[in-house]
Amino acid sequence: MRGAPGAILRYGLAAVFVVAALFPLAWLAMAGFKAKTEVVATPFQFFPEMWRWDNYARLLADEAFLRSLGVTFAGAALFAALSLVVNALGAYAFARLEFAFKRTIWVIVLTTMFIPGIAIMLTSFIVVTELGMLDSLAVLVIPGAAAGVQVFFLRQFFLSVPAVLEEAAQLDGAGPWRIFRHIFVPLSKGAFVVVGATSFLMFWNSYIWPVLTITDPELFPIQQYLATFRSERTSEHGLLMAGSTLAALPVIVLFLIFQRHIIRGVRLSGLK
Amino acid sequence: MRTPLIRLVAAVAGATVLAAGCGSGAGPSAPGKSEITLWQQKFTDQEDAWYKKAVAAFNRSQDKVVLKHVIVPADTWDQKMRSAQAAGKAPDVYTVNYSKVPGFARTGVIQALDPLIPADKWAGLQEPVLASVEHDGKKYGYPMLVEPSAVLFYRKDLFAQAGLDPERPPATWQELIDYGRKLTTKDVAGVVTAANQIDLAWSTWGLQWNAAGHLPISDDWSAPRAADPAYKQLLQVYQTLYQQGIMPKQPLAPYADANPLGQGKTAMMVCGSWAASVLLQDYPKLVGQIGAAALPSFDGDATKPTATLGGWTLVVDAKSRDARASAGFVSWLLAEDTTLLVEFFKNTKFSKYSPRAAVAEAIAKDPAAAENPWAKTIEERVVRYAKAEPAYDWAVSLAFGKAVEKALQGKDIDEALRAADAEIKELIAKNDLAGQGS
Amino acid sequence: MAVTSLRATRARPRAGARPRPRRENRVAFVMLAPLLALLGVFVVWPLLHAVYISFFTWSFYDPAVFVGLRNYLNVLTDVEFVNSVTRGLLFSAIVVPAQVTIAFVFANLVKSVSRRMATVMKVTIYVPAVISEVIAAIVFALIYTHRGGLLNWFLDFFGIEAIPWLGDTVTALPAIAVPAIWIGMGVASLIMLAGLLDIPETYYECASLDGAGPWTKMFRITLPLMKNVILFLLITGFAASLQFLILPLLMTQGGPVNSTNLPNLFILQHFTTDLYVGYSIAAALLLFAVLGTVSAIIFRLVRSEKAMDA
Repeated sequence: MRGAPGAILRYGLAAVFVVAALFPLAWLAMAGFKAKTEVVATPFQFFPEMWRWDNYARLLADEAFLRSLGVTFAGAALFAALSLVVNALGAYAFARLEFAFKRTIWVIVLTTMFIPGIAIMLTSFIVVTELGMLDSLAVLVIPGAAAGVQVFFLRQFFLSVPAVLEEAAQLDGAGPWRIFRHIFVPLSKGAFVVVGATSFLMFWNSYIWPVLTITDPELFPIQQYLATFRSERTSEHGLLMAGSTLAALPVIVLFLIFQRHIIRGVRLSGLK
Repeated sequence: MRTPLIRLVAAVAGATVLAAGCGSGAGPSAPGKSEITLWQQKFTDQEDAWYKKAVAAFNRSQDKVVLKHVIVPADTWDQKMRSAQAAGKAPDVYTVNYSKVPGFARTGVIQALDPLIPADKWAGLQEPVLASVEHDGKKYGYPMLVEPSAVLFYRKDLFAQAGLDPERPPATWQELIDYGRKLTTKDVAGVVTAANQIDLAWSTWGLQWNAAGHLPISDDWSAPRAADPAYKQLLQVYQTLYQQGIMPKQPLAPYADANPLGQGKTAMMVCGSWAASVLLQDYPKLVGQIGAAALPSFDGDATKPTATLGGWTLVVDAKSRDARASAGFVSWLLAEDTTLLVEFFKNTKFSKYSPRAAVAEAIAKDPAAAENPWAKTIEERVVRYAKAEPAYDWAVSLAFGKAVEKALQGKDIDEALRAADAEIKELIAKNDLAGQGS
Repeated sequence: MAVTSLRATRARPRAGARPRPRRENRVAFVMLAPLLALLGVFVVWPLLHAVYISFFTWSFYDPAVFVGLRNYLNVLTDVEFVNSVTRGLLFSAIVVPAQVTIAFVFANLVKSVSRRMATVMKVTIYVPAVISEVIAAIVFALIYTHRGGLLNWFLDFFGIEAIPWLGDTVTALPAIAVPAIWIGMGVASLIMLAGLLDIPETYYECASLDGAGPWTKMFRITLPLMKNVILFLLITGFAASLQFLILPLLMTQGGPVNSTNLPNLFILQHFTTDLYVGYSIAAALLLFAVLGTVSAIIFRLVRSEKAMDA
C-alpha cells in the first residue's frame, strides 16, 4: 500500500467514508430548501428548483419550535448533569469501596442494562403517573438518569486509576469523599465528557417516552414537536426536513466543540 | 464528611424541584368548576382549528365546566392512550373511530351514553351508523360524521391524454385494470391504493362485503370465513395491479393521503371521501380535472357495498371523574345546535357526511355545498350502499389484510386465504371471540 | 465496555487492586443511594410489576383476570413472534458484521493517512451517531423513494431500473439495515481505533525487520491483538441491533408482508392494538430473556471476571 497508487487508494477510501457519513445529512438539509411538493417530486430533482428559505425562516420565526428547542436543551443539560452525579458516585463506590452485598447489588445494576425499554414502558409510566410527574420536565429528566451502562463505563475507568494516588491521599487522612472529589473527579474529565455527551444525546433524541408523558404542547421536546408535522392524511415534507435539520444542528455543533474530548475520552475510558 | 453529602442532596433535590417547577401542570382551576379533558386526534389544520374554536365556545357558553383541549398526533395516539388508560389518566372525552367503539364497550373502557344524554337527542340519527356505536343494546358514542372508506378519484386530463373518455370512469375491475395499464407511464402510476397490510385491513372492508357478501368471520364470531373462494377475485385484482406495475411498487404515501393525485403522480386513486378536502384545499386549480366514482363491483351490481362508513365519534371514558359534564359537552357539541357542526362540514369542504338528519338538511341548504363537485356522486353511489365498520378485534381485520398483501406480493392466493382463515380461527380461540358478535 | 478488564490483565495488572479490604458501608451506601433509589423506582420496580402483569389479562378497566402462563404460551405458539425474533437475529447478522468491518477498515485507514485527514475522518464518522433514529428514518425513506428518490435516480445512470427498496419483501430488511449501520458505525469506529492505537508500534517494527508484509502483519499482529475489541463490538452491536424500533416503525410499519417486523415493533403493535394487555408484556419479557441469555454468554466469552466480580 506504499507509493502513489497506494496513497490515492487510501485517500480515495477516506473520502468515501467522509461522504458516506455526511451525505445523508446534507441531503436532508437540502430537502429543507425544497417546496412541499418538490421533496419527492417526479421526475427526480437533485437541487431545489429555487433555494427557498421559507421553511427555515418559518421555523426560526415559530415561537413553539424555538421553545421546543429551548426545552430540549435545558432538559438535556439537566439530564446530563444529573446522570453524571448519580452514576459517577455509584460507579466510584463499586470501583473503590467495600460494602455489604456488593456483588449482589452489582449484578442487579448490570442486569438493568439489558432490560428492553419496551418491557417496562407501561409500568414505568404507571410509576411516574402515581408520583404526579406527568407533564413536567422532571418526568423527562429523572426516570432515565440512573443507567447501568454508564455506571459500568465509569467503574471501568475508575478501576484503571492507579492505586498509588489513592494510597498517598489515605496516608494524609483523606476519606472517600475527598479522594473522590480531589483525585478522581479531576482525573476523569475525559470520561465525564463521554458520559455527559451520551446522556445529552439520549435526551435530545428520545421520542417514545416524551410522547407518553408529555401532553402539554409547551413542553414538547424537539422530536415530539417534529412529529406534529407528520400526519396520516397529509405531511408537511419541506417543513419536516427543515425542522429535522435544525433539530440535528445543535447536537452536531456541540459534538464539534467537544469532539477532541469525546474521542480522547473513548480512548481513555477503558473502552479499548 | 457531612458537607459534600448535603451539597449533593441539595443539588439533586434542586434539580428536581427546578424541573418540576418547569411543568405547567394543571394550574389552579377556579373554585367550584369541574375540569374535564378532551383529546382530539390530529386531523387536518382546518379540523384542528374547528375543534379549538368549538372548545372555546363551549367554555364561554357556561360557567360550571372548564374543558381542556389536547391535540394528539395520529402516529402516537395509540401508545399515549394505552398508557394513559393503564395509569387511570385517560381523558374524559376523546375522538374515536367507529370500529373501535364496540371493543372498548366490551372491555369496559368507555361508558354508555344513553343514561347521560336524553332520548330525544338521539332522534334523527341514521340507523346503520347508530348501530356501529351500540353494544348490548346501549349506545357508547354520539356519531359525529361518516366518511366512506373507499372512493375512486381520477384525473380527467390524464384520461383524455391516454385516449380514454374522461366522463366514463371504469365500471368493472377488468376495465379498471385496462385503464390503469393505459394510464401508467414512467412517472405516473395507473392507480394508487392501499398496499400494506394495515391499510389493506380496513380499506378493503367494503370490497370484502362486495366480493363474498360477508366478512371473513361468521356473524357470531365463532368461525372463520376467510377461505370462501369468493374472496379470490378480490385478491386477484390486487395481485394483478401490483404485479403488472399498474400500482406503484412502493407506496407513494399512506392510503389516507390524497396528495399523489394532486401532484400528478397517479392517474387514479382509491382513497376515502376526505381526499376531497385536501384536493379542494391544496390543489384548487385541478378540481375541474378530477372526477369521482364508486369502486367497481365484482359482479357488476352497483347496489352492492364497495366501502364502509368509517368516521369519528366522541366517547366518554369509563373512569371519567365527571361523566355528566363530559356527556354534557358531547351533547352540546354534537346533538344540539347545528350551526357549529355545519361549519365543520363546510370547513372540511363537504368531504364528510353527517349521520344526523337536522345537520344533513342544513348542509343541503348551504349554497357553499356546491363547492365540492364530488359530494353528490359519493353520497348517491357510495354512501347509500356502504356498510358499517365491523366491530370485531382489529387482529381479525389485520389477518385478512395480510392475505391481500401476500397476494399483492405475488404469493399464492389460495394459500394466503387459507393462512388467513387459520389465523382468524386461532384468534377466535385465543381471545374467546366465539359468541361475542351479534 | 467490558474490554478494559481483559486488557487490564495485560497492560495494567495492578490497576484495580484495592489498597485496604475494609468495609465502608456507610459511605458506600450514601454514595449509592441516588443510583439505587432511581434504579429501584424507575427500573427494578416497573420490571417486577411488568412480570406480575404478564400473568394477567387486563383491559385496564375491568378487574384483571389471572391467567397463569397463558400469555407466555400464546406468545411462544405465535408464529409471528417467533418469526420476528428470527428476523431480528437476521437483521443483527446484517448490521453487526457490516459495522465491525467498516470500523476495522476505518481504523486502519485513519492510522495510515495524514494527521489532518485523520482528524477530519474521526469527526465526520461520529456525526451520524448524534442523529436521532427518527431523523435517520426520515432521510433514508426519502432516499429510497421509488420514483423521484435519490438512490433510484443514481442507479438510472447505470441503466438499472427503479427498485422498490422498501416495497419488496427481499430488499426491505437490508434497506432498513443501512441506516442502522450508518447510525452505529461512528461509535464502533472510534472504539476500534482506540484499540488499534493501543498496539505498540514496536510489534510492527519488529515484524518489518523480519520481512513481514502488510497482510502478514494484519493477520499475525493486528487481528489477534484486536480479537477482544472485535468480540466486544460484535456483542454490544448485537444487543443494540436486536432492539431497533423507530426505523421499521416509521419507514415500513413492519411491511411488506411483515418482512421488517422486528421484535420490538411486533411488541409495540400488540401493545397499541390489543384490547387486553398481558400478551405484549409477556412478549417483551421473553425478549428480555433472549437478550439476557445472550448477554450472559457475552460476559463469559469476553472472560470478564472483573466485570462480574465487583
